[in-house]
Amino acid sequence: MAFSTTVSQRKHIKRKAPRGFLKRVFKRQKPHLRLETSGDLLVHLNCLLFVHRLAEETRMNAFENKCGVIKKEHVQAAAKKLKEYGKI
Amino acid sequence: MAEAMADSYNGDSEPTTRTLLRRVLDTADTRTPRRRRSARVGAQKALLETPSSRRLSSPTKMNVRRHSHRVRSIGRLAHVHTSGNVEEQTPRTLLKNILLTAPESSIMRPESVVKPVPTPQVVQSSRRDSSRGSLELQLPELEPPTTLALGLLAPGRRKQRLRLSVFQQGMDQGLPLSQEPRGNASASSLTSSLNLTFATPLQPQSVQRPGLARRPPTRRAVDVGAFLQDLRDTSLALASPGDSLRTPVATLPADTVLEDTQPFSQPLVGRSPSGYHSLTCLSHTEVEDAERAVSLRTQSSGPRLQNHNPGKPAELLAGKAKKVDAHAVSFPNNSSAISGEDGVEPLQDGVDEEAEERMEESLSVSEVMDTTGTQGSVRTEKSKRHREMSEAVEAKEPEGSSGDEDISGRRASPELASSTTEFLQARQPQFLEPALPPSTAVLSSEPLEPLPTRLPPRARTPGPRPRQDPHKTGLSHYVKLFSFYAKMPMEKKALEMVEKCLDKYFQHLCDDLEVFAAHAGRKTVKPEDLELLMRRQGLVNDQVSLHVLVERYLPLEYRQLLIPCAFSGNSVFPAQ
Repeated sequence: MAFSTTVSQRKHIKRKAPRGFLKRVFKRQKPHLRLETSGDLLVHLNCLLFVHRLAEETRMNAFENKCGVIKKEHVQAAAKKLKEYGKI
Repeated sequence: MAEAMADSYNGDSEPTTRTLLRRVLDTADTRTPRRRRSARVGAQKALLETPSSRRLSSPTKMNVRRHSHRVRSIGRLAHVHTSGNVEEQTPRTLLKNILLTAPESSIMRPESVVKPVPTPQVVQSSRRDSSRGSLELQLPELEPPTTLALGLLAPGRRKQRLRLSVFQQGMDQGLPLSQEPRGNASASSLTSSLNLTFATPLQPQSVQRPGLARRPPTRRAVDVGAFLQDLRDTSLALASPGDSLRTPVATLPADTVLEDTQPFSQPLVGRSPSGYHSLTCLSHTEVEDAERAVSLRTQSSGPRLQNHNPGKPAELLAGKAKKVDAHAVSFPNNSSAISGEDGVEPLQDGVDEEAEERMEESLSVSEVMDTTGTQGSVRTEKSKRHREMSEAVEAKEPEGSSGDEDISGRRASPELASSTTEFLQARQPQFLEPALPPSTAVLSSEPLEPLPTRLPPRARTPGPRPRQDPHKTGLSHYVKLFSFYAKMPMEKKALEMVEKCLDKYFQHLCDDLEVFAAHAGRKTVKPEDLELLMRRQGLVNDQVSLHVLVERYLPLEYRQLLIPCAFSGNSVFPAQ
């Protein structure tokens, strides 16, 4: 699988979608439903965007608190904010 | 001619090539194209040319055989040629000479005849190489040098090379025999390609440049016994530093290693035994944690697990904080190693990465619990004993001493190469109480657990244990992405929080998709539902379309699958 982006981090972030994991999660949650083949890629995209938004919000919270480390409270506040806006 | 005819008739019990040739010689027109050979160095040269001429005249296998005959009997033919008509070296005359002088033989030549022949051939074939440069003549001379080369190579290489050299030697030994009828047949370039295909690739290269010889890949069947032995050796060797902790546990790492049949887990084997050591050390802590752990394990409900998980690591943290000092450094490594060792998981690479990253105790602890539990449950499937033990354990779940009994029973039987030992130990690391339990009898009664049974592929049952672990490993992928996007160091609790958020997110996502699909009267969730979901979330609007997002965030391979693109031939992929 060729990755379209290079990560300048010491740990390379995988760009692969855990398709099996997503399919399994969906099946566990809704066994009576079926997920289409390309659907799980879009679910992955959705997850990426969600995580992106959450991380941005968390970072902003941490900056506001003038913390160099992200704390649990930052994450919680960010999650709450996203929920208000309809992150779901 | 008369003697040739006589010979042909005498030996005409079966139509051999020799007899056929004779008949041809006798009956065919005597006029043959004369070939003026100005330089006649000797019989050898003449013989060299005759094959080419012969090839032109009658390209048959029997001619090729004649060539080999000629090659072998070159010494004998030399005087014949010098005495014969040197001027007229027609194919016919040469053939006749050969028929006269070449020994009678069948296609399948005995080895004894071949062996003395190669030595004189070496000299002659060397000359031939220069003049003809054909491969088939190299064959006779290649045999001894190849074996020499192989012999040189074999001692200096690894086992794989040895086996390869053995293989090649076997090939060479097989070759002279089979070469005989065929190698002679392959003297002519017409047939050489057909017959020598499996010989030439190996030999010429190895003779001229041993280092560049292409070696066929050696494939060894997995020797179960050797594998287990190696595992034992490595585990015992690695367990030696951990022996100081607990002698009866020393055997457990071997057992752990033996049971771990994951192909990639071997590098982590060294860490796992010490991990188990640390686990057992830590097991000396609270019992209430053990109870909670057991209750956690036995409960199969997801939410409960989720609820317990954040609580459990915290408690475990609190409990372990007392005793972890000595093992604090090693434990995360070991636990991460153990979690990495969880070869049952398909997302093992994710686990490994996680293991590398997550040096935090709480997460590693939870992972350890999960992984060990998974390991235990996986091994449960393997043997009845495991199931019995798990049942026994679960039956005594409310009692914290049950696990202690099992653990002590395990220690009592150090020879038990039982996964349940580690299973129980891992599952209830907090359990202690070296009290001899009644379950010891059960344990000792089934010490059999033949080792090979562990090696067969594990079948994974969809129990509560595996559900949590692969779930965690899958989530870890997104948690890593979170930490990447955040670009800031994060606390372990924050990462746990992220995991919780992701869980909730997935639940909401599935619910929404269900609603959308039901709204469209479908039972399958299609990409349109996903687009609607993203539109609702505000990610997709009139300015930003779904395709733009796909192009922005997903790698090329996924993009190709998602965005319809027109290809040649008036085709669109994916089809709309």
